Amino acid sequence: MIMPDFYDFCCRVRTVSGNKALEEIPGLLAGMNSRRPLIITDKGVEAVGLITVLKKAVGKKLSIGAVFDKVPVDSDYKIVDEAAALYRSKKCDSIIAVGGGSVIDTAKGVNIVASLGGKSLLQYQGAGAVRQKLNPMAIIPTTAGTGSEMTLVAVIADTDRHIKMLFVSYFLLPDLAILDPRMTATLPDFLTAATAMDAMTHACEAYYGMEKNPMSDSFALEAIGLISRNLLSVMKNPGDMDGRLALASASTMAGGAFSNSMVGLVHNLGHTIGALCHVPHGNCMSILLPYGFEYNLHRRASIIGELLFPLAGPEVYANTPKKDRPGKVIEHIRQLNQDLHEVTAGRHPRFLKEIKNRQGDPMVPRSMLPDIAAAMMMDGARMHNPEEILPDDALMVLEHAWEGIPLNRKKVRKG
Amino acid sequence: MNINKYPEIQPKQKIIKKIYIFIMLFIVGRAIEAAAKVDRTVKDIFNGLPDGFTFYLGVNPGGPYMVVGKEKDGTVKYLGWKLYGKKISLAMRIKNVESAIKVFTFQESTALAYNYDRFIVEGDLPRALAIVRVLDIVEVYLLPKIIARLAVKRYPHWSEMSPMIKHTGRIRIYIKAFTTGLIRVILQNL
Repeated sequence: MIMPDFYDFCCRVRTVSGNKALEEIPGLLAGMNSRRPLIITDKGVEAVGLITVLKKAVGKKLSIGAVFDKVPVDSDYKIVDEAAALYRSKKCDSIIAVGGGSVIDTAKGVNIVASLGGKSLLQYQGAGAVRQKLNPMAIIPTTAGTGSEMTLVAVIADTDRHIKMLFVSYFLLPDLAILDPRMTATLPDFLTAATAMDAMTHACEAYYGMEKNPMSDSFALEAIGLISRNLLSVMKNPGDMDGRLALASASTMAGGAFSNSMVGLVHNLGHTIGALCHVPHGNCMSILLPYGFEYNLHRRASIIGELLFPLAGPEVYANTPKKDRPGKVIEHIRQLNQDLHEVTAGRHPRFLKEIKNRQGDPMVPRSMLPDIAAAMMMDGARMHNPEEILPDDALMVLEHAWEGIPLNRKKVRKG
Repeated sequence: MNINKYPEIQPKQKIIKKIYIFIMLFIVGRAIEAAAKVDRTVKDIFNGLPDGFTFYLGVNPGGPYMVVGKEKDGTVKYLGWKLYGKKISLAMRIKNVESAIKVFTFQESTALAYNYDRFIVEGDLPRALAIVRVLDIVEVYLLPKIIARLAVKRYPHWSEMSPMIKHTGRIRIYIKAFTTGLIRVILQNL
């Protein structure tokens, strides 16, 4: 355990988790003097009947102001403004966000406009623009991966200017996170795999990153253990509600870890690949995670070795000599990706060249790698990686990840 | 109640530390101007920024500050230590004097200070990242290896910056920083 000279940890989201957690919502909102929420979601969530499940669970104890289901794949400020106008016209006093990262970010944006007044989210750009308590907000994640319910950030696009606006404030932390396995039960197997590996990456990068601290470490270690013990069993038995609840808890804990310790190379490259090639985030994370370990091994060997305990269990940990533990961690993650690849009949990619779109075309052509390596310099996660990463380093990592071969550690520059 | 029994507590001014930071910021600011002419990477980073882009690095509360700008013709200039009258595109402030001392005495690298939330950044994040990269490169030129290793995350491998380039660059940057335009910038800020 490294004790940092300084750390800053904040996690004040009330988390309610259980097989009937949705039924608690009316009482929890009433405790915040709120009785008329706006539900924000997307068409996909609505189509699989999750809003019906929610309405049935809350019954007549809650008067739902309206359901706004127009959230697109990438949150947009115009959608935020539209939902905020609906919030006002229906005289809502709180928000329930039901969905994944985009829905949660949109809901955070709506809460800014609805609580602080004004016509558009654009009025609240810039650091320090949100400086006061917002209206009550509850988040019900429908993927066990993003961890956005525990973060103080919202990323919302301005499609006119072709930019993504970053809103950061402790007041964006929601009041409630509701984890109920019914809300992830409809997730297809390949998405369950990708989102769980996203959460695994949050926890691992938080644990070995530069901003690691004892509090986020405890969240990260437990999240890794829960995912490792439950992911494959949920994949083989999608009706395993206890396993799904464990994955949802792990995702939220990993969110609490990475929102305080931040993330590094894996997210740095993953964000950039996502932006340039429109690859699903979870796929990038699962492919790049072993490379994140390998790239930082010379700086973080013993810390990475500690992850063998939650990943493989006490027997394997105790039977593995200390010097071999980091290698075993990397091997374990690669094996997990291989197992997920087999369980999903190949829909969980193991290498960048295996990522394909619905037409079967590769989404990350090798010719794009130099562009990705150059563009990664603009992503903030670069600052939190233990080892420096410059475009040449990024290209070297990407080439290995594209081919699916372990990183040649002789090529890692150590200064 | 006699209010005079409860005098207002005045914070210490920490004058010596502020003077030290002022000198360091002055040298770094002048070195950035010089490095933008000497080092290819620094030159490329500033080429990627818009003309008229101006940033400052400073310490809360009340300075000292270092203001650097890219002029309309593309040249990079150290603009001194006064913020007044300058249109700032990017502000990077260290939260307090003690944190700034940790950075400028190399007890903490720039990256570690960033990770410990010592900085407040107002402006575009990718541009802030570019400026941190410039600061790292300038530190490598200004400082001997034994100290620069403490200041940057990874001291450049010879394949990234050959000893020849590093030493000639260092001499050129020091000469330019303490000759060309030195009087001009001092007079402009007095």
